[in-house]
Amino acid sequence: MTEAKPLQANVTGGPTKRSARSVFAGLEIDGRLFGMIAALAILWVAFNFLSDGLFLSPRNLWNLSVQSAAVAIMTCGMVLIIVSRNIDLSIGSILVFVALIMGLMQTEWIPNTLGLGLNQPYTWIVVVVVGIAVGALIGALHGFLIAYIGIPSFIVTLGGLLIWRGAAFLLARGRTIAPLDTTFQLLGGGPSGSLGETLSWLIAGLAIVGLIYSLLASRRRRRRYGFPLRAVWADVALGTIGSVAVAGAVWVANSYPWPPALAAAYALEHNIPVPPGGLQIPTGIAIPVLIAIGIALGMTFLANRRRFGRYVYSIGGNPDAAELAGINTRWTIMKTFIAMGVLAAVAAAVTAARLNAATNGLGSGVELQVIAAAVIGGTSFSGGIGTIAGGVLGAVVMQSLSSGMVLIGVDTALQDIVLGLVLVAAVGLDTVLRRRRA
Amino acid sequence: MSASESSNAMTASPRTPLVEMRNIRVSFGGVHAVDGVSVDLYPGEVVGLVGGNGAGKSTLIRALSGAHQANEGEIYINGQKATITNPRDAKTYGIETIYQTLALADNVDAAANMFLGREITTRLGSLNDAAMESAAREVMRRLNPNFKNFKVPVKSLSGGQRQSVAIARAVHFNARIIIMDEPTAALGPAETAQVRDLVMQLKSEGIGIFLISHDIHDVFDLADRISVMLQGKLVGTVEKTKVTKDEVLAMSIIGKLPQEVSETEMASLVN
Amino acid sequence: MSIRKVAAILTIAALTFGACSSSATSAPGGASGGCKVGVAWATFQEERYGLRDEPAIRAALAAGGATYIGNSALNKADIQTANVESLIAAGIKVLVLNSTDPKAMLPSVKKAVDAGIAVIAYDRELESAKALFMTHDNVEVGRMIAEAVTKAQPTGNYAIILGDKTQTNPVFLRTGMAKVLDPLIASGAIKIVGEQNTPNWAADAAQTEMEQMLTAANNDIQAVLSENDNMATGAVAALKAQGLELKVKIGAQDGDKAALNRVALGTQVVSVWKNSADLGTAAGKAALELCKNPDISKVTGAKAVKTSGGLDGYGVNLNPVPITQDNLQVVLDAKWITVAELCKDVKPASVKGCP
Repeated sequence: MTEAKPLQANVTGGPTKRSARSVFAGLEIDGRLFGMIAALAILWVAFNFLSDGLFLSPRNLWNLSVQSAAVAIMTCGMVLIIVSRNIDLSIGSILVFVALIMGLMQTEWIPNTLGLGLNQPYTWIVVVVVGIAVGALIGALHGFLIAYIGIPSFIVTLGGLLIWRGAAFLLARGRTIAPLDTTFQLLGGGPSGSLGETLSWLIAGLAIVGLIYSLLASRRRRRRYGFPLRAVWADVALGTIGSVAVAGAVWVANSYPWPPALAAAYALEHNIPVPPGGLQIPTGIAIPVLIAIGIALGMTFLANRRRFGRYVYSIGGNPDAAELAGINTRWTIMKTFIAMGVLAAVAAAVTAARLNAATNGLGSGVELQVIAAAVIGGTSFSGGIGTIAGGVLGAVVMQSLSSGMVLIGVDTALQDIVLGLVLVAAVGLDTVLRRRRA
Repeated sequence: MSASESSNAMTASPRTPLVEMRNIRVSFGGVHAVDGVSVDLYPGEVVGLVGGNGAGKSTLIRALSGAHQANEGEIYINGQKATITNPRDAKTYGIETIYQTLALADNVDAAANMFLGREITTRLGSLNDAAMESAAREVMRRLNPNFKNFKVPVKSLSGGQRQSVAIARAVHFNARIIIMDEPTAALGPAETAQVRDLVMQLKSEGIGIFLISHDIHDVFDLADRISVMLQGKLVGTVEKTKVTKDEVLAMSIIGKLPQEVSETEMASLVN
Repeated sequence: MSIRKVAAILTIAALTFGACSSSATSAPGGASGGCKVGVAWATFQEERYGLRDEPAIRAALAAGGATYIGNSALNKADIQTANVESLIAAGIKVLVLNSTDPKAMLPSVKKAVDAGIAVIAYDRELESAKALFMTHDNVEVGRMIAEAVTKAQPTGNYAIILGDKTQTNPVFLRTGMAKVLDPLIASGAIKIVGEQNTPNWAADAAQTEMEQMLTAANNDIQAVLSENDNMATGAVAALKAQGLELKVKIGAQDGDKAALNRVALGTQVVSVWKNSADLGTAAGKAALELCKNPDISKVTGAKAVKTSGGLDGYGVNLNPVPITQDNLQVVLDAKWITVAELCKDVKPASVKGCP
């Protein structure tokens, strides 16, 4: 505060005055996001009660994290698409098309056509790079037709929905491509596709250091420009809550031991003496979950801290204003679809690797799950509003509901009804609250 | 055409005009919204553009701001021929526009709107929101000291505050030419007075201003010269000190210069 | 945009697809005097339809001098309704309907019959006495899955992964399974600990279901009955993540190449094989007979059958074959799968049929 410029005098309120108003204002937390976390907590506790403690077991939470990964990855892109007043119905079809290309590449094209053999160490990386490139190209094509030719995104991606699934069929004539490359399979998680105890704690440590650094950096920045600082207690509280959350998540992931059968096989293979009660190998964070978290952070950075994100939100808020402000709106829209294509390809890698197969039916209906996740997470179809974090939470809410209901044995038809009701209720509640706030 | 030439003669200034638009024509599907109009603007001068609805004044000015492209005609900035095909081009020539609709992205805050398309970034290319907010606060201190809501989406601001944001965006980037399209339409009396003060201040800094308004009183208060349009054509450009409000009104309705209007026409208008 | 418009767009696109995969459409009325046979496919999602059934029907029709026209409906009844209309408009004499829905397609059947077109219900039932139901006996398929799995695992906890709840095949299959399972449940030998329908018969959805059922039962599951091989792919992936793929006995049906490979590897007990190519050939031949005489009761092999709803109709049933490690040679002899595909990653000389 000592180096504050004279401007400080004009700034309203001091830090103490502001924080006194309420805890929330002091923490500067998005009330909506907090509401979602609270709703998710209630949901989890309810499922835990109904499943006699199974839902909140490390095993189920670990499963839930892996099951949510693919939808969460794609939701990160879908939020930006919907924020800019567009829609992408084609992601499930891009997913299956890319999955089949990746499957065929690693099981047939590289080993047979090129004669290089199965399970080469470099196979997975070549396959992923090509898959992402294909996803980006498809996204670019959709984006070009939408932004430069002016065909509505609903139509272009509805066409894409049909075209890429059809193309996927022609690629493999409906065959199931399996099994896949052993290294590639790690992208899908499973005990061997997880980080293990030490690496998971290392990641947790890095995340906590990053969190504290960003809080300090934000304080420093505010001070440099003489803005009111967040109260020290608020920063300490945020840092503590964040750190505990990260450490807790990793603790849960590490509390899930390898399944006994796999642990026994591992012990046999590595000549490890098995203690009474079986070998306990902590599983740790699954690789697809790490990918999803990395993508969510990266996309949040793009959305909040880069021009691209600022332009996407401005276009969603007022397309004419964005154009008149000199923004290249077309290129910006095209970029959102390229990002969506890339994320669909990443999700394809995760889904196929997890299934250890590329099949014709992959990703059918996933576009609706992803759109629902984005919308439950607070993304508005009227444009300009929505956050990546909200979308990812929405994906977790959706997956918690569907896998929780399987866990407690709810009838399939009833599951659909519940999911539908939650979707409409969540958006309805949001609409009412938003109107009241306005 | 003869009208604009005569106006040049009247100004009799040896300086190069800041803006010179020559024979501008803008058509929409065969209809000439602007038909061969020529206007000019000198440093430190306010030129009022008046005319009824559909006279073509907004369309003319949108050809200068890059929102529409002219089908025919030439634009000279500081005597140099300029090509303006989009809003970005206009901004590189130092032309800033305050649109009647304000053209704000409602869902982002004041600083984000002010710097939209011209964000301040860090060395690594990330947005420097703190620097932008700081600059926004500084500009606002000059324009509207009562403005305090820097952290909220502009949707939740009052009409006057939104106007301040739109004006702040125009003045912050060292504009040489500012276009104001109905700048006081949404404002109360106090805020309107503020805009007048601002126009006078900008004028004193050597900035040229095109002021579009259907309110002749406004224009008479602020403008040095007045260009009148009717049905896409320029009726003429006159110096404010040499005409009366009624004469300008007559130009915008009858489409004739004051010296061409007959007494009976004038009388019927006044009644 | 209204649902109707969306459906129309989907229809147009689906028709375009049909055209892509069936070049015959490009030359309407080409085969002079030849009979025109229209095939309305429900979907090409599963491996078999595009790879086996369609080529077999085409070949049988071509051999008899008839013309093939086809389209696909993305598993949607409204699209298929429009697809059938366009086939009728194209002047077909026989409609082979691979139905999306046993009841929703009845107006289309009536429209065809009214136009003097003979109708074959292909592989999926229609709740109509007017259509000749040609299928592998799906109740029998379900029974065979359960029989092979209970033979390998006569006691313990069972999980069942059912197909899409909007179709009748899952019910037939489940009925067949019950014939074997019910006495064992009654005697207390086995217990069903989980049973889930799977939207779109999707493998990734089946994987999640299997994971949750394993979690709920704390891995205390000894056998899984899956209603098709595609979903078994997902279930086996979930078992593999728990290291259980060789311990838990799983059975399914379709004869998918990946599933037959699993049978050879020992990670799947049985894949009940319905030679879809045989069904396609039989349907093609039946269509040729119907071109000459549209009376479905006169088709070779037609027997009186009852529909699920109790109507008296006619059907042709082909018998399925359960493929286990004991009879892999059958699929090799039928050239259904190559040795390399069947025996990928199989330990040499460990299984009959693999070198």
